[in-house]
Amino acid sequence: MIDAKKTIVVTGIGVISPYGIGLSSLRDGMLRGECCLRQARELYPGFEGTVAAVSALPPPVEGHHYSRSDRLAMAAARDAVGDLSDSGLRESGIVMASTVAGLTEIDPEISKGPAAWYRHGGLSRAASYQVSRVAASVGEHLGIQGPACAVSVACASGAMAIALAANMLLDEAAPMVLAGGSDALCPFTLSGFNSLQALDQEPCRPFSQDRKGLNLGEGAAVLVLETLAHAQQRDARILAVLRGWAMTNDASHPTAPQKDGMGLAICIERALEMAACSVEEVGYVNAHGTGTPLNDIAETHAYENAFHGRRRLIPVSSTKSYFGHCLGAAGALEAAITITVMQTGALFPTLRLNNSIESSKIDWLRGELRREPLSVAMSVSAGFGGSNAALVFGSHRQ
Amino acid sequence: MNTTLPVLTGIGSVTPYGPLAGLISAEPLEPSVITAWATPGLRRAFLVEPFRPASIVPGLKTRRLDRLSAWALVASSLALCDAGIDLGQMDRSRIAVFFATGFGCVELTEAFYQSAATNGWAGTDPITFPETLSNAPASHVALFHDLRGPNVTVSSKSFAAESSLLQAASLLRHGQADMAIVLAGDTLTQAVYEWYEAANLLSPACFRDEPMSAAGGFIPGEGVVAMVLEPAGRPAARHYATLGAGRWATGGDAQASIRELLGDVHLDFTICAGNGAPCAATSLTGLGRNLVGETLVIPAQPVAAGMGEAGGLLHLLLALSKRPGPGEALLSGRSAHGGFAALRLELS
Repeated sequence: MIDAKKTIVVTGIGVISPYGIGLSSLRDGMLRGECCLRQARELYPGFEGTVAAVSALPPPVEGHHYSRSDRLAMAAARDAVGDLSDSGLRESGIVMASTVAGLTEIDPEISKGPAAWYRHGGLSRAASYQVSRVAASVGEHLGIQGPACAVSVACASGAMAIALAANMLLDEAAPMVLAGGSDALCPFTLSGFNSLQALDQEPCRPFSQDRKGLNLGEGAAVLVLETLAHAQQRDARILAVLRGWAMTNDASHPTAPQKDGMGLAICIERALEMAACSVEEVGYVNAHGTGTPLNDIAETHAYENAFHGRRRLIPVSSTKSYFGHCLGAAGALEAAITITVMQTGALFPTLRLNNSIESSKIDWLRGELRREPLSVAMSVSAGFGGSNAALVFGSHRQ
Repeated sequence: MNTTLPVLTGIGSVTPYGPLAGLISAEPLEPSVITAWATPGLRRAFLVEPFRPASIVPGLKTRRLDRLSAWALVASSLALCDAGIDLGQMDRSRIAVFFATGFGCVELTEAFYQSAATNGWAGTDPITFPETLSNAPASHVALFHDLRGPNVTVSSKSFAAESSLLQAASLLRHGQADMAIVLAGDTLTQAVYEWYEAANLLSPACFRDEPMSAAGGFIPGEGVVAMVLEPAGRPAARHYATLGAGRWATGGDAQASIRELLGDVHLDFTICAGNGAPCAATSLTGLGRNLVGETLVIPAQPVAAGMGEAGGLLHLLLALSKRPGPGEALLSGRSAHGGFAALRLELS
């Protein structure tokens, strides 16, 4: 018997991605197998490598200074709420993930003398520095006054925002929660990942034996979450059920994932346990799949451990091969894609996966798009600092 | 006593009062003169005096860490020690770390910009970059103590600490963790201080070397406070307070929300927790006597208000350190932007 007050459902999805604004542009682009990765130097002269940028960002709001991450978040949130009235949204909560936030607005000149930099136009730019601004910007944009916070847990942030939002709904902290993530491209992160030699100069090849690193992307995704009871009360269209979620930490290394993937495996097991879902029921896993040598092998081990008892191979793909790694937004964008996979039955393959990591448990999705009806799918995220998050989505039967 | 609600069993802190386990003196502090960078005249703030972390936590290595991560490690160690917890007896995959911060690892972010200014974007430091991420302190806490449960870093305009307490309690309530270490903190840097100054947010007390007036306003501060939350019932555990329900919001009718939160409860204490904003530090939480009644009001202290988003735990620590006695309490604050936070506590 379903407890409608304890069942969390998704009733809206908003996206801004290198494909444009809206989930349909993302879905259609991916169905076409279109890759959005481009040479970084086209955007950032002097930077080598490959990135995916958003070109559809609405113009800045006059009289306000919002960072690019803020503006991406605002666009995705507006898209997510669709035609919901402002009064229906007012008491909603907001949980937005970001790692970059207002770093997009600050340049190295600040280090030569902050006071002078502020005097010369930096004051309002620096005001958008804090991660909490991303959540606050969404609230200001949509007139939302409920509880709001930002989550910053490296590349697992977006998925964790959704998990924390679900907990807030169980606690009745708000009638609805807008949860997601937003991160913009900027020299700070390009330079940082480049210094770590984590970037592939060519389009990335997640789960390939000859993978060389990740590509950075940008975008935002926001899910509207509420209890089934609340959704039914307002006759909302239910897109998916968030059946389970979990968060763990490897406690293994400041940056590298645990080699055997056990922290991530435990996270997956706990999310499945909460979802009351067996390993056999999962029809698709949207992997973290960055394309870095260390992440992808650890993640492979995690799937082999978590799905150990499964009789069939588990279908897995990394959709970062289409538009790069959007950092704090990645988990939210991939949650949106995972729900799309359930809705369409289209299992997006990993692009450029010709020579996959050997595994006796994993069905690496590659080549032609496969179509297969499925009712349960999972999105998995991990990040620097050993953080892991897993979300289990199910289809809703009216 | 409600045995289903989480209990605060351990406290550790690295604040202008020093690195301490458990309750602290809670005597009002004067801000210190800033010497860490060249200032255009006298400038004051609530600063943590330098100390050697390994002298507090034997074996702790912090050479490659920024102060925020080092303080988080010290504060979490002190809190676990204060709680008398033997981690060896616990399932560490079910211990959560929740970290609240306003600015995150801003010291190393500035250092990264410095390396970009000096060497160009192609010559930045690979050691520094991962440590600029806001979740670095929480992940170091997990790594040092081998805590493999949920590890979350949050920031919330004005009320990051309060929202972290509530969300950590939620993890316990929903069986997603058996115990949580909740931390809240920030470091003060030249860029942050000068931003406050350029934005005209600083109290006059920041510019004069004389005792603060009662309406001292906002004086920036720094530090980290850690608190251990666990279900009631562990033998020999300390019991500072039981954490009840709470609310936080960015606007709306705070009085109505808090009235609903309180229900029929008779409050004994109101702990003011105005954070950051000049007007919020000394107000009676912006609530008014008609809501909190004739309770004993424990006013906000500037040293905690100076920690901004992360100040909520220091407000709570300072209030507990006054040993107000057993009773029902409300930890509550308003922000200058119309937001509020309110948590019910049963003080032991």
